[in-house]
Amino acid sequence: MKKLLGSMLVAGMALSMFTGMTAYADDYDLTFYCIDTTDPDFDTWLQTVEEGTGLKINVVAAPTDSDTRQQKVTTILSTGDTSVDVLFVNDEMISSFKNTGWLEPIQDTVLTEDIRGEYAQGYIEHMVTSVDGDIVALPSYTGYLAFWVNQKFLDEAGIEEIVTKEDFEKYLAAVSKDGKYGYGGSWEKTYVFNEIGSFVNMFGGDYFDWTNPGNKEAMQFLHDMAANGYTPLDQLADKYEQMTPKCTDETYGSWFMWGIGGDYKAAGMLSPDQIHMQMIPDLDGDGNRTIYTDSWSYVLNKASENKEAAIKFMQFMTTEEGMKANFECFDRMPPRKDLLDNIVPDGHDAKEMYARFANECYVTGRPMVPQAMEFITDMGTLFQSMIKDEVTVDEMCEKAQELVVKYTE
Amino acid sequence: MSNINRKKWIPWVMVLPVLLIRLFTTVYPIGMTFRNSLFSIKLLSGINKFVGMRNYVDVFKDDKVIASLTFTVIFVFFSMFFHIILGIGLALILNMKFKGRRFLRTIVLIPWAMPSVVIGIAARWAFNNDYGLINDLIRRFVPTFNYSWLIHTSSARFAVIAMDLWKDLPFFAILILSGMQFISFEIYEAARVDGANGFQSFCRITLPLIAKHVATLCIPFTIWRMTSFDIVYSMTSGGPGEDTSLIAYRISMEAFTNLNVGYASCLAVMLFIVMAIFSFLNIRVSRRFSE
Repeated sequence: MKKLLGSMLVAGMALSMFTGMTAYADDYDLTFYCIDTTDPDFDTWLQTVEEGTGLKINVVAAPTDSDTRQQKVTTILSTGDTSVDVLFVNDEMISSFKNTGWLEPIQDTVLTEDIRGEYAQGYIEHMVTSVDGDIVALPSYTGYLAFWVNQKFLDEAGIEEIVTKEDFEKYLAAVSKDGKYGYGGSWEKTYVFNEIGSFVNMFGGDYFDWTNPGNKEAMQFLHDMAANGYTPLDQLADKYEQMTPKCTDETYGSWFMWGIGGDYKAAGMLSPDQIHMQMIPDLDGDGNRTIYTDSWSYVLNKASENKEAAIKFMQFMTTEEGMKANFECFDRMPPRKDLLDNIVPDGHDAKEMYARFANECYVTGRPMVPQAMEFITDMGTLFQSMIKDEVTVDEMCEKAQELVVKYTE
Repeated sequence: MSNINRKKWIPWVMVLPVLLIRLFTTVYPIGMTFRNSLFSIKLLSGINKFVGMRNYVDVFKDDKVIASLTFTVIFVFFSMFFHIILGIGLALILNMKFKGRRFLRTIVLIPWAMPSVVIGIAARWAFNNDYGLINDLIRRFVPTFNYSWLIHTSSARFAVIAMDLWKDLPFFAILILSGMQFISFEIYEAARVDGANGFQSFCRITLPLIAKHVATLCIPFTIWRMTSFDIVYSMTSGGPGEDTSLIAYRISMEAFTNLNVGYASCLAVMLFIVMAIFSFLNIRVSRRFSE
């Protein structure tokens, strides 16, 4: 009797496993690996996309930690895992994967010639095109690493706008007191890369050439900010989650940040009188401004067994309806300039500033190499050593150049 | 006779599926790791070539690995030291007779039951200068206190070791407590009659009788410290710089972030050898205790 019961139990378990797998496979048209599942409007977005495409989409939530995200995507793509069809990846990942052959080219199916010109050309050419000329990713939005200010701090310093280096120094000195800082950032070793690059740009430097005097001037400026108490050393441990509350509770007077200010809006702080974007300062005084653009993009897993459905999904993301869903649910500006006016209403703060960035700045992708995360981490670690005076600025520039040679050869 | 012979291989047939799964999920990956350690495998660059022992030589020139090894030694030593001292102390407290002892024995295990990643993420906030509860508590006594624990090497290391202790110490203490239950109360009675005080009873009775038990527990707990990964991963990401990077964390970063599979395999093999030597030495020590 016991043997019979035991055999029935084993058979039942085995049957339920296989039945479950079959039922799962039949339920969905494709699987989408996504970072937005924790957003309050995610369900609305998903419903819109499913209605617009006629597809049933299984969503796999991406980890929130940057290292874990990178690792999971890498494992899926490098092993030819067929369980995920479309992945939502950032610039670091695209930079690493675009030449590996793990991503399906989409220039003939999704990002076709008739619409390609409406996307940021520099970004398409430098960021999402492989060495073989294949376009392997579809940008989902246009984002800028904008310079944000708290208007109250500007009023206190008697400054209308931070334009020159003198303006910035005056501003920092005037407002950095009583637990407040003229500048704040996210200087954790994998995050500070964004700000290193932005300050190098503001001083007319070149991230891939650390013999450029602009680079040294930028690092000296950052070092002196920390040494003079204009920016806190605490931020060496801060990622964006720790940095954002410090912006909204008015600890920081200025900072660099992606996005159009959704977090500040949620805190009731987004307005011309409080927190708002301003034009990138021109710290080297040559009249040129450079701004980083980024995007999270959709990529099609080459091992996918649902390519037709995946292409249909990605094609929807090139349409006005798809981009409108991203804008309304996730506050993401549409990447197609011909649809900007249709989707973003007039009077939207970010629309005017984004138009100014596009027209007045040199828009470029962040400096990426194939071993993106390793490069970013090494540069971040070196920067932290410089800020803590473990190495001098000159030594940092020397070692940074060694890293550039190591990762670009 | 044929019946007996048939019955001999039936158990082997029954366990064969499990054995095969075990071979595939454990033996095969271990073998491949040893094999990969002799290759330079960089997935992002498409490199996959035999390099012999070069990875093993490069390990000793890699500053990041040396930093990881340094902190691993510090972490294991101090964590185990306080595990033993505080673990015995906590076990003594839990062994006392007082009201609510059973309740205390239950709730003291709560940290151990929490996932390390959750603890790490919470600790990242707890040690934050502006929003952390650690500084908030200190400021109730010293209002002007300001200190960012996770940006300085020494305090970041202290924080990591403290969180590791907070999580695993209760479990260590409970296991020591279990060993204390085998000490007969009559021995303490006899000692008390002979004039021994509490401290003398502890030193002459408790400690000698639980020493072997503690030494035995130290083997797995030390190995767990040596292979610890999740606290650092979620709390400090190895920072500031690489100052709180443990060797298991470095292996994970090389393998899954940097995709240097060959080099990561080499580090894993070296860690395996160290752990094997350590386990062997500890078993010898434990055997000596039991003699």
